[in-house]
Amino acid sequence: MNSVNDRNRDIGPFVPAPDDDMLICRCEEITKGEIRKAVHDGMWTLTEIRRYLRTGMGLCQGQTCSKLVKSIVARELNVSPAELEPATSRVPMRPIEMRIFANEAKEDDDYE
Amino acid sequence: MKRYDLIIVGAGPSGLSAAVEAAKRGMEVVVFDENEKPGGQLFKQIHKFFGSKEHRAKVRGFNIGKQLLEEAAEAGVKVVLNATVIGLYQDKEVVVKIGEEIHHYKGDSVIIATGAAENMVTFPGWTLPGVIGAGAAQTMMNLHGVKPGKKVLMLGSGNVGLVVSFQLMQCGCEVVALVDAATRVGGYGVHAAKVARTGVPFYLSHTIVEAEGDECVTGVTIAEVDSSFKFIPGTEKHFDVDTICLAVGLSPMSQLLKMAGAKMEDNPKRGGQVPICDEYGRTSLPGVFVAGDVSGIEEASSAMIEGRMAGIVAAEYLGYTDEDDMNRNVESLEKALDGLRQGMFAPENRGKLVEKTEEGIDVSMNLLKKGYVADDEIERYPGVTHKVGIHPVMECTQNIPCNPCQDACPKKCISIGDNITSLPIVVPESECINCGMCVASCSGQAIFLVDEDCGDGTATVTLPYEFLPLPKEGAKGIALGRNGKKVCDAEVVNVRSAKAFDKTNLLTMRVPKEYAMKARFFRATV
Amino acid sequence: MTERRIEEHPILGVQEKGKKITFTFDGKEVEGYEGEPIAAALKAAGLMVHRYTKKEHKPRGIFCAIGRCTDCVMVVDGVPNVRTCITPLKEGMDVKTQYGASDKPFDV
Repeated sequence: MNSVNDRNRDIGPFVPAPDDDMLICRCEEITKGEIRKAVHDGMWTLTEIRRYLRTGMGLCQGQTCSKLVKSIVARELNVSPAELEPATSRVPMRPIEMRIFANEAKEDDDYE
Repeated sequence: MKRYDLIIVGAGPSGLSAAVEAAKRGMEVVVFDENEKPGGQLFKQIHKFFGSKEHRAKVRGFNIGKQLLEEAAEAGVKVVLNATVIGLYQDKEVVVKIGEEIHHYKGDSVIIATGAAENMVTFPGWTLPGVIGAGAAQTMMNLHGVKPGKKVLMLGSGNVGLVVSFQLMQCGCEVVALVDAATRVGGYGVHAAKVARTGVPFYLSHTIVEAEGDECVTGVTIAEVDSSFKFIPGTEKHFDVDTICLAVGLSPMSQLLKMAGAKMEDNPKRGGQVPICDEYGRTSLPGVFVAGDVSGIEEASSAMIEGRMAGIVAAEYLGYTDEDDMNRNVESLEKALDGLRQGMFAPENRGKLVEKTEEGIDVSMNLLKKGYVADDEIERYPGVTHKVGIHPVMECTQNIPCNPCQDACPKKCISIGDNITSLPIVVPESECINCGMCVASCSGQAIFLVDEDCGDGTATVTLPYEFLPLPKEGAKGIALGRNGKKVCDAEVVNVRSAKAFDKTNLLTMRVPKEYAMKARFFRATV
Repeated sequence: MTERRIEEHPILGVQEKGKKITFTFDGKEVEGYEGEPIAAALKAAGLMVHRYTKKEHKPRGIFCAIGRCTDCVMVVDGVPNVRTCITPLKEGMDVKTQYGASDKPFDV
């Protein structure tokens, strides 16, 4: 197990910072402070953070903030961002209405 | 479920190039792109590209885009637009949203050419309307004909920040400052120099403290940062702007590959999460290939070559071509790609301070810190020589893979030699006929024709000019130095436009002869 | 709507436009060109704020201009969350500022 997932590691207490109110996830309006706190609440992976705070779960699906969130979490855990596994990629890759998502085309090649 | 020999995701430079090569070899190819128009970012690139003839150097990006679309149409490539690929599965099933329906396709091979997304940086006020990505600026001005703002501050001195700053000025915006937290200009020196000489100040080791405004941006404050990127109190500078443009790098858009289960790595040299692949774009998934920025951030020129490689390799994978054809073609493409990956900005030099040119000449530190080569530095470069009569002065001071100037001169006055990154030299005993082809051919706008002594106490300087309104013969104004500051009064004595110059006008100004080697831009007095 | 439009470009020349049409922004008539993105027409008209966010009620406008960031979404013809930077403008379109996910302003 690499150190990123070693939950026995002491990352110290949450220390408030002057820029904690900086908005990071533009869609869900999540701040840097909330993300940092979440790490100290035990959310050490990007997938956990995403479920816990909804960062990257809004309309844009993390297109804008995922790299920013990753670097904040990495700094809080005192690891390099490259060591953090990115959050899962899954269908649909782009915002899409449920009615369209459920609307399977009948013909195979009818887009022309 | 419809089956294709090859499904390509992304109709940008790499995806289209891949499609052309695959279709030429008999594959049934479809390209899906989520945008309304094909060509990716090429149609937003209005500057002349670097490279050599085989890389279509000195051709403007959008014209390369047009050529590529024609080539794709000729090869019989099917491009489906407004088609958003929302999923890719391990067995190469591609799920696409087209119109209001979801379609499933099976590709016997798949090429992912989804390109890159812009990185962002945060500061108080970064969500205000008026803070935009550099790509957004390009989209608005170069595709939709709308100015991104009146007064713009650019954050980022990489090639995107430099090129977009120039484009903003070309469409009539004022760029008040170019800011970067890094200590050195990140992009090509020639791109920086053409921005700096128009008077845009560069603030390296600076970044944005705050964007101001309630409903939208009305101003911005920047400040100097120390080596740990902390603001230095007392160094704040304020600008009234309505637009802040962010050009802080790109990240590969590789999520589809991760979704499909391709082996990935985090590689800062390639710009982030990228699939592990070989030099031809083969990923860990058999039959799934990558090309372009999705596997590492580079230029459009290299993306097109990578695309061609991936197309050929995909054709070989399904038996549409044999190993011989593949090896022969891929080898020559590899050579072309290697050519682009040479010089000071080669991938292995990313982030490094290169202090000497390949010729052993000191690199201009002013260029790296302020965006221009200082007057006392310029003489040390081999393109800068003196002689009686009109002669080219090539202010090309970094080793970059580019050589159109040596082919442009009909009199063979300019030589780069076989090494594409060498600095251009003036061929001794050659005779300049003042045709201006070199000035127009230089993608970096770094060549000037100078007559240092016209015999009446004046000199003439011919410079590339790509702004409107185009000054007329007889127009009076001021000459600006490389640093964008006034050096003397000047008068326009000639303006040349020609089809062969491809929209680069040649403006000749008369200045007192002592300023012949200092005056590098003209501004008309209103 | 001229000063924010690029009438003539030194490299691209005079860009071709669609038909000049009228649409409404929060009920007011605005001119634009058919087929250009709604966001381009709004920008040319000097209209910067597309929406106010749900939690903080903060203004947002064009950010990426290529349909990625979804910051420019508005209520178009009654449909919320329409990405105006990639949705072509049509004659008579009803474009409204989006508050959270609605076209009704927040109670102050």
